[in-house]
Amino acid sequence: MIDIRHISKTFKRAGEEYMALLDVSLKIKKGAYISVSGASGSGKSTLLHVIGGLIRPDTGEVIYQGESLYDQSGSFLDLYRKRDVGFIFQQFHLMPYLTVVENIRLSCYQLSHTDAINAYLETCSLVTIKDKYPSDLSVGEKQRTAFIRAIISNPELLLADEPTGNLDPQNSEILLSLIEEFHKQGGTVVLVSHDPAATKYADLNIEIGHGRIQFPAQTFGE
Amino acid sequence: MNPLRLVIKELIYRRLSSLVILFTVIVASSVSIAIYTLSKASENETRKIMREQGLNLYIFPKGTNLIDFYSVNNTQTFPETYVDVLAESKTFDAVRHLTGILQVKMPEWKDANGSVHQIILFGYKDEAVQRFLSRQETMGFDVKKGTVQLGALLAKNVKPGAPFIIEDKDGNSHSFTVDQRLEEGKGMRDQGVSFHLEDLQMLLGMEGKINKIEALGCVCHDGRIKNARSQVQEIFSDLEVTEISSIADARENQRLMMNKYGAFIIPFVILSALLITGLLFHQNVKARNREIGLLLAMGRSSYTILFMILSKAFILGLAGGIIGFFTGSWIAQYFGKEIFRFTAFSIEPVWSILYYTVFIFPLLWMISSWIPALLATRIDAARILSEE
Repeated sequence: MIDIRHISKTFKRAGEEYMALLDVSLKIKKGAYISVSGASGSGKSTLLHVIGGLIRPDTGEVIYQGESLYDQSGSFLDLYRKRDVGFIFQQFHLMPYLTVVENIRLSCYQLSHTDAINAYLETCSLVTIKDKYPSDLSVGEKQRTAFIRAIISNPELLLADEPTGNLDPQNSEILLSLIEEFHKQGGTVVLVSHDPAATKYADLNIEIGHGRIQFPAQTFGE
Repeated sequence: MNPLRLVIKELIYRRLSSLVILFTVIVASSVSIAIYTLSKASENETRKIMREQGLNLYIFPKGTNLIDFYSVNNTQTFPETYVDVLAESKTFDAVRHLTGILQVKMPEWKDANGSVHQIILFGYKDEAVQRFLSRQETMGFDVKKGTVQLGALLAKNVKPGAPFIIEDKDGNSHSFTVDQRLEEGKGMRDQGVSFHLEDLQMLLGMEGKINKIEALGCVCHDGRIKNARSQVQEIFSDLEVTEISSIADARENQRLMMNKYGAFIIPFVILSALLITGLLFHQNVKARNREIGLLLAMGRSSYTILFMILSKAFILGLAGGIIGFFTGSWIAQYFGKEIFRFTAFSIEPVWSILYYTVFIFPLLWMISSWIPALLATRIDAARILSEE
């Protein structure tokens, strides 16, 4: 589904160049569940954002359904993120002025999602708080809202960047189960995490260090 | 979710910041509207003052000795139809508000007590309509037939409520209703009485005659008097034009002063408000960088982000512009009462500029938010969303 070919990415920090990714190649097939671990600054989030169409690599290509993502127009990338990718972040990033339902609707592009929203609210135990604002939610509720927002438009790919980083073990488990449920229904997941518990549902775990994939081989999925 | 709905939700959520921006628009708009309305009021005030003091151009029969004109009643006359001929001329545009006047001195007028006074009689023809020029509010004296307006000094000799009695050339008494008792300070009119032209012509047996046209000279680049003279003499070579320059200059100077004042203050206030708004929008974008980053990550285009920020500026510019229009008009009316003597209670909102307000303020505020909006489209979503 996604073929990452020899990508490298360098950032400048405080006047110094910092190599985030160095000649990384990776094939992710449809339905794969990959966890990416590594030390802070190892490049795992950069890899996630390159896959998600948010960071243009300096060299190399990301091939998605036969098209090189970063050779396409900006509107193609917008459409790719809108239609094919769902993001979950450690900080939830809910709009403070929208209710739970409205936050979820942010990524809905069709009215037919109403039934799906209600079903997910039920699954995620958010029905009773669906009209509350983020400031009234617990962290677990916030992250579950962010999860529904990420998958409500049925993306091909769920990209989760330290999704359990702010959650207690109980809420982490609930979220990971939900991600696993998405995976079981055919969704492809790439999950970046420090937390060893977060990797337990993954088909394969890879480790990144100094911008390179350390372990294991570089092709995953069915 | 519709981006416009998102804009309105955000506007309400960050109400303090939105209100501050709205306040800058209201200040800029109301100051501009107030100054503009006051400058219009000032023009009207000047017109009214001019009306009180007399118009700035006098057109006499050629050779009239002005010293004699004011002291004796045998000045040369000319047909009142001259006024209509001038008004009907397509090329006669250097002079406005043409008012035919018959002005004579009456050496012996007896009041109700039998005391004899020397008074001046003024007969005013209705102001001529120059149908080839744009319509303007009339500046004529508008004395109604059968009525008179008494000058302040003369009025002391006529009891309030009593009619004005005057004898015609044959010694017959005529009674006129006193329509107005003028305040003092109107120069020669203080010691006179103003009639409708036809009434005075009938009293004096001078039907169809006038001895003066009073008018207002244009504000012309190549000189008011020069233009007026050449245009009048092109039509009637037996007339000449004299300028009462002190009044004319005072009028022009006042207009120019108001215009210069407005030309400085309005752009200054608007630019200051725009600068403040630009900074407020910049702060707003900084405060919202995660929201904007999230929208970009969810596939919203840069154009959508641009649209959202410009829409916010448009909404605030429109609302502030309209509120500012009414506030500015109210300020002009409130303070105008203190500033203007004649137009104090006739200052009204200049409705025609409401249309400009509705267009200009949203546009200006969109321009002021343009740079912050562009910066918003360049937010690095990956970096912002990864920050802890």
